[in-house]
Amino acid sequence: MATQTVAVRRPLAMRAGFIRSAFAILKGLWITNRHFWRNLWGFIIRKPTVFTVQFPEERLVQPNAFRGMPVLVQMDNGKERCVACGLCEWACPTDCITIYPAETADEIERYPRVFDIDMSRCMFCGLCEEACPEEAIVMSQNVEICAYSRRGTLWHKDDLLVPVDKLLDTRLFHVRRGYDR
Amino acid sequence: MPKITIDGREIEAPANAMLLPVALENGVHVPHYCWHAKLSVDGSCRMCQVEIEGSPKLVIACNTPVREGMVVRTQTPAVQNARRGVMELLLVNHPLDCPICDKAGECLLQDYSYAFGSRQTRTKEPRRKLQKRKEIGPRMILDQERCILCRRCVRFCREITHTNELGVFNMGDRSMLDVMEGQPLANDYSINTADICPVGALESKDFHHKLRVWFLKKTPSVCPSCSNGCNITVHHYRDRIWRMMPRRNDAVNESWMCDHGRLNYQQVGDETRLRQPQLRRTAKLQTVAWDEALGYVARTLRDTVRTHGAESVGVIASPHLTNEELFRLGQVVSLLGTKNVDTALVVGQGDNLLIKPEKAANARGARDMGLRPTAGGLNVAAMLEAAAAGKLRVLYILGSDVWKVADPQALCGALEKVGCLIVQDVFDSPLTERAQVVLPSLTWAEKTGTFTNVKGRVQQIHRAVAPRDEQPSDGEIFSRLLNQLGEGQWHFEATAVLEEIASAVPAYAGISFARVGAQGFALPESAGDAA
Ligand code: SF4
Ligand code: SF4
Ligand code: SF4
Ligand code: SF4
Ligand code: FES
Repeated sequence: MATQTVAVRRPLAMRAGFIRSAFAILKGLWITNRHFWRNLWGFIIRKPTVFTVQFPEERLVQPNAFRGMPVLVQMDNGKERCVACGLCEWACPTDCITIYPAETADEIERYPRVFDIDMSRCMFCGLCEEACPEEAIVMSQNVEICAYSRRGTLWHKDDLLVPVDKLLDTRLFHVRRGYDR
Repeated sequence: MPKITIDGREIEAPANAMLLPVALENGVHVPHYCWHAKLSVDGSCRMCQVEIEGSPKLVIACNTPVREGMVVRTQTPAVQNARRGVMELLLVNHPLDCPICDKAGECLLQDYSYAFGSRQTRTKEPRRKLQKRKEIGPRMILDQERCILCRRCVRFCREITHTNELGVFNMGDRSMLDVMEGQPLANDYSINTADICPVGALESKDFHHKLRVWFLKKTPSVCPSCSNGCNITVHHYRDRIWRMMPRRNDAVNESWMCDHGRLNYQQVGDETRLRQPQLRRTAKLQTVAWDEALGYVARTLRDTVRTHGAESVGVIASPHLTNEELFRLGQVVSLLGTKNVDTALVVGQGDNLLIKPEKAANARGARDMGLRPTAGGLNVAAMLEAAAAGKLRVLYILGSDVWKVADPQALCGALEKVGCLIVQDVFDSPLTERAQVVLPSLTWAEKTGTFTNVKGRVQQIHRAVAPRDEQPSDGEIFSRLLNQLGEGQWHFEATAVLEEIASAVPAYAGISFARVGAQGFALPESAGDAA
């Protein structure tokens, strides 16, 4: 087949659209710049006019039922409430929980020898919390999981433990109400 | 052959059969706890009740013989009501232990509770307190609260092992399972009771609190520990074996396996295993690359045969290798032209249930593949003598069984004199300490192939866990050696090698993985064992 040259004539409306999009870019730049200068001025005279949280000096106060990263409930005796049943490990859609159970002399026979959550994979869905038969894993208000390395986002059991009285009024309250326990 | 109707389906049943097995075989699932295919009928759990036309009350299917023209219904409201009632009674005293119970996930009480139970508890009374975590034997733990008194374990100890350690004590709602005074559950088959226990009352210490069962992946295989070749399922996860369970094969092991075989999997994941080939250039063994080690072995073998004759080389094979690997080893031996080949086999105690005296899975296969001295060849003892006399210059030893069977003094003397000792094994041993070349082996769990059991039944094993660092199997090692020793391109692929065996070994004519199947293939009687 011989090659053929086709001259395409763009319709007029399309060329006008091109000009319109250039205009849109300018408009966007204008809005961003306006906000930037206005915020900067507000910051300098210490009278901010727009809602900007100065993280990390300022932090939002999360509502009690907020679903941040999952943590392990620590009982009054300092031990975890988790019995390493593995249901959260199974329920987790991103497979980010790793548990190795072991036996203890305590009445509840078993505990997690290893309990790791890979926070870089966790999506705060809360299915682990829903699966847990022991109220041992609940969502917390914390969302700050940044670390300097991948390894740093792997949280171990000791990093995950939170004393039970810190959780009673927050997420645990909503777990008990929400899941009808 | 009586004809019966179950849920509107006509079924031809064998005469004198009980209703429950007939229903199960025909895909009608009748829930049951106490009935077990390999034990006598007990009729104690009442879970298998069904409706039979003409009978005023429900009957238990496990203890009702089939009759011509019988009409059975398993799904009527009366049956469902009865099942719900049985479930409720079983759960009255059952502890809420599922999160910490090893059986959770494969527990019949859980499954039937979901399928047939009710969601509410009507009792308010406290549950019965009994002993938990009771050590009833060296390998078994009992949780009396979880027991549903189906007596499967009691019947196992009475009918299969004839040791009678377990019994149900007291009566009525005080009944409880326990061991007889001063008679711990210590028989050689004790962990089978954990398999048949429908709940988590009897647990194996080895698997206690190790892993949730729903994570386990299952690979059918054959026990490597004796020549009975019990069919097993290897349960593994994250490239590690967590437990082994018997797989039913009525021609070999019924539904059982011995405790020794079951617990003999630790070596697979052992950290001290040999992983890299080693060569002794100076006084010390040094880790080298595979090509270098195999090149050295091939060179040594070839040069020795050329200068001192084939009779200066000896090969001691291992009965732990698969038929395919042994066949390849046989090809190495015939290429070298030596007649000095034998298999070192540990022979110990057997019993009249499963355990056989030959403590290797493929002792028979090694004989069938011709790894024994032929006319003019030397056996293990004679090879050691010849080596001590300086007549044997290269000794190629597979496995370390020879260390257990040979006379230690003769062995040490021989190993000192032999020019080059090549050892291929899974672990360090006194043999590797004296070796010139050490080649690491793979274990049975990392291989695919066939074993032939003592009765001449060829059975398959499958790779359950992946070897580390792409370590080659023994069969691949032999194939690479063949490549270096002679002409031709040799590969190792179990299916292809079994085809070669089928055409080369008369007793194995026509064999293939498809014919071996899940339950094994019995060699013809005429192919008598060469032992
Ligand atoms: S919140 Fe969701 S993703 Fe995160 S650990 Fe729980 S189940 Fe997994
Ligand atoms: S579900 Fe709860 S008790 Fe079970 S392992 Fe997870 S945190 Fe532990
Ligand atoms: S221990 Fe298990 S097998 Fe034995 S009677 Fe109790 S429930 Fe049945
Ligand atoms: S009897 Fe032999 S083959 Fe069977 S489980 Fe025991 S060691 Fe393994
Ligand atoms: S299975 Fe029939 S009564 Fe238990």
